[in-house]
Amino acid sequence: MSRIRTARGRQSGIGSYVVLGLLFLVVLFPVYYGLVGSFMGERDTNSFPPALWPVSGLHPENYGDALGIIPLGNQYLTSVLQTLVITAGQMVTSALAAYAFVFLPLRWRAFWFGVFLSTMMIPYESIIIPNYLLISQWGLKDTIAGLTLPFLATGFGAFLLRQSFLSFPMELRDAARVDGAGHFRFLFSILLPLSRPSLAALGIWSALSAWNMYFWPLLATEDPRHQTIQIGISQLQTSDGDSPGMVLAGVMLALFPTLLLVIFGQRFIVRGLTAGAVK
Amino acid sequence: MSATTVGAERRRGSLMAFAYLVPALVVFAVFIFWPLGKSVLLSVQGTDIIGNPSGFVGFVNYTKLFSDPDFLQVLWVTFAFTVLTVFPSIAIALVIALLLQSRIRAVRFFRTAFALPFAFSVATASVIFGVLYNPASGVLNGLLSYIGVDKVQWLTDPDLAIWSVAAATVWMQLGYNLLVISAGLGALPEDVLEAARLDGASGLRLQRSIVMPLITPQLFFLVVVGTIHALQSFGQIKILTVGGPQGTTTTLVYSIYEQAFANNNSNYGYASAQAMVLLLIVLAITAVQFGVLERKVFYR
Amino acid sequence: MFSSSRGTNRLRYAVPAGVASLSLLLAACGGDSSGGEASGAPAAGALDKASGVTTVSFWHAMDGKNAEVLTKLVSDFNAAHQGKIEVKATYAGKYDDAITKYKAAIQSKSTPDVIQIYDIGTQFMIDAKQTVPMQSFIDRDKLNVGDLQPNITGYYSVDKKLNSMPFNTSMPVMYYNKTLFKKAGLDPEKPPTNLDEIRTAAEKLSKKKGGPADYGFGAAIYGWLLEQFIATSGSEYCDQGNGRDGKATKVQFDQGAAIDVVTWWQKMVKDGLAANTGRDTKAAQAAFKSGQLAINLESTGQLGGYSEAAKQGGWELGAANYPHVKAGETGGPIIGGASLWINGVGHKDANKEAAWQFVKFLSEPKSQATWHTGTGYFPNSKGALNEPVDVEYRKNNPLFDVAVKQLEGTELTKATQGCLLGVMPQARKASEDGIEAALNGGDPQQSMTKAAQGLEAQIKSYNDSVK
Repeated sequence: MSRIRTARGRQSGIGSYVVLGLLFLVVLFPVYYGLVGSFMGERDTNSFPPALWPVSGLHPENYGDALGIIPLGNQYLTSVLQTLVITAGQMVTSALAAYAFVFLPLRWRAFWFGVFLSTMMIPYESIIIPNYLLISQWGLKDTIAGLTLPFLATGFGAFLLRQSFLSFPMELRDAARVDGAGHFRFLFSILLPLSRPSLAALGIWSALSAWNMYFWPLLATEDPRHQTIQIGISQLQTSDGDSPGMVLAGVMLALFPTLLLVIFGQRFIVRGLTAGAVK
Repeated sequence: MSATTVGAERRRGSLMAFAYLVPALVVFAVFIFWPLGKSVLLSVQGTDIIGNPSGFVGFVNYTKLFSDPDFLQVLWVTFAFTVLTVFPSIAIALVIALLLQSRIRAVRFFRTAFALPFAFSVATASVIFGVLYNPASGVLNGLLSYIGVDKVQWLTDPDLAIWSVAAATVWMQLGYNLLVISAGLGALPEDVLEAARLDGASGLRLQRSIVMPLITPQLFFLVVVGTIHALQSFGQIKILTVGGPQGTTTTLVYSIYEQAFANNNSNYGYASAQAMVLLLIVLAITAVQFGVLERKVFYR
Repeated sequence: MFSSSRGTNRLRYAVPAGVASLSLLLAACGGDSSGGEASGAPAAGALDKASGVTTVSFWHAMDGKNAEVLTKLVSDFNAAHQGKIEVKATYAGKYDDAITKYKAAIQSKSTPDVIQIYDIGTQFMIDAKQTVPMQSFIDRDKLNVGDLQPNITGYYSVDKKLNSMPFNTSMPVMYYNKTLFKKAGLDPEKPPTNLDEIRTAAEKLSKKKGGPADYGFGAAIYGWLLEQFIATSGSEYCDQGNGRDGKATKVQFDQGAAIDVVTWWQKMVKDGLAANTGRDTKAAQAAFKSGQLAINLESTGQLGGYSEAAKQGGWELGAANYPHVKAGETGGPIIGGASLWINGVGHKDANKEAAWQFVKFLSEPKSQATWHTGTGYFPNSKGALNEPVDVEYRKNNPLFDVAVKQLEGTELTKATQGCLLGVMPQARKASEDGIEAALNGGDPQQSMTKAAQGLEAQIKSYNDSVK
């Protein structure tokens, strides 16, 4: 039987390889060109038809140029700070709320949970105008506070952690209680460490979303030094004296952290992404 | 212990429980619910040249919306863009996911490789596609020139621009869709697949008759999430076409941006009315999701 | 934004209806307010009465190289006024962002002392009633402004009264590739001067007709260029004497010269003589720099980049007056760029006075020469052209004299003053919609009419709201 299966497997394999190979070329081409193009000089990128690899030598100085033409270094820092603050904020507010939903005698539990869920139904773009006016009136444009405040809580996070807390064995919780652990101690030194996979899922999810944000940072910042890297690279394109190689180098710099996350943190990502999809 | 002290204790307990919700609720109140109410209020007001509300005008902004041919085009573009991105990105991801299920070599490599688009933000992906689409020196036209095709105006031809932006968006969605579908497939019991194989079902038939129904929840989830996501698309339009040519890529969200923030516009009233339309559409889709998911979709 | 985009999940609980009313309640608590009237210039000596250092906040829209030169000018000024005035310059984003930010600042009563606003925001700035007209300072000091180019101050003046001080000024010119001209057998010293001549040249230059360039002609779909054609033909862009006699009520780019231009342009594209590179000005610039286009319309600001590209690409760059629509026309183009406004509402007299000192400093010949030679913008001061550094600059960039002569040769009329319109940015975009539709095959008249009519409601609602 096993021989038959192997044979059949190989047979279907050939067709699979061809289709898969074609899809591979098409899907991965932008990734390839982004990477290779970031090392190409203008002679290669501006020739027609353009070179598909650095024919006229490597130009790693594209990276230096990209960092120099706009304050990409500052922007990197802004993006990192923004991501850290949002991620930490979302994890804390979500953990607290989820804890109350699962372990505490909350009145109108269904109502409040409904409030949390309802925040996920409201597309952010539909309330972006008042948020913009608010942040500018408070003088928070071009600040980390302005970039992060609206995103310090998420209904999704509370929902995700609540699911995880629900499966927490009640005996353990009672045992902790007997030991005299207060709510905070129980939450932070027992429950959360044991919910690490879900917490990691939420963390990666929040970090990816925060790092990749575009619309809000576009509105909430003006000064290039205070913009996030996502805005920065999209403006590399329109800056004077651009070359495709330099633009792509900027893209690669912005891409680096998320690329690592996707390659090495895939299983956590899947857990976070599909929390609602997989029953 | 008297009943009143129990009641008081319970209230105190509930108050303490509520305190755990407060941090999140404050954020929601200030940055979601207040703005939501404000959006509604703005949408029934005019706006002066500074951007201040200039008094209530009733439903003028709304009636203006639906008599404005440009806005009807916006709705059409939004619809077309959604259809052009959601279904192809799911279909392609499904094909890849199914192929990765078959017994092939280096499956881990392929799995990671195909998930790479997920690492791209809207901005990074759009900038790369902008370079690829460049009519004068872009690689896409370069490759086409080898087979004798003249330079294509990917982003400035009004008949083509939405397809080009949609194609870039499909690419951006691909990694995510693939992860979700793969997770669904991975959760299927091996014995179900094995039984199907032994029965002689193979290839397409196996997949259509046995695998597909089992991952309907994932596919349905992707349709809904993808639709809402497509409706919210902004970065790729801002970066690739700024809504043009001739408004053929101006979607609802882009139109809101344009009315409120671009071009010395500060028509917050009119833009807010459009924002309310967006809100209603998303709410309707969520409601559909809610209704259908509970009943229609096949669950194991 | 992200929580709902990808994280939308099945809902177990219906949204409580209370949420909606809660939102409305919360929102109703917020209030709005608006500013008062602007005042005239403070009495001279307001600054002397102030004790300590008067800090002038200055928002500008310059980035990259331009910002560097501006920063240098600011520090020069601060050094000269040490202990008395300190200017704090802040980048407020690109022009569109800066004006958006300014609106928010008016709402929160936190306008800067000085702000740089683009040319097409002029009428808006007048209607916003926040600023002190430059003329009131000039009149108070009985300042002789004869050194400023009248064609430049003309744009920012209404009834001969200067509202804002021009700062960075650019002009449109016609660039052409002399090498391609020679290859096509054209005289590189006799560039075309009107649309018909451009077409004749393009027929020799374009690949389609066996010429050396991909396209003889190519320019971005940029509304500014159409405005220039309307001006060089002696026509007015909007009614009420280009908005100078009263509030303009409609645009006029759906008639006369504008239609001639769009019709010509469409035919050029259709016949393969002109490239349609879309609205992105970078696309047309790149095509011209790489020798794909032989004739291009752009601002003087591109001179540096084009010269560099020509040097690297081994071809010779030419520049000439902006073309006329028809032979025999004598009009010139309109200046573009941005000007400086001094905010009055909510600002102390000492700040207004200090702001005026700063603005005056920036328009002095020496400052303008530094600015011009450092950035490539056009000097507003006649005297700047005699500064050694400027003379040297123009020796190295002889093509810049084309722009100088063009400006000096332009008679200041209502046509060349340019249109004052509150919704000018929107009008420019609408004209681009129209041109784009025509270049993509639409009927020129119909396309432009549709674009112009679409603006009527916007103009009316703007005018109504500033009555």
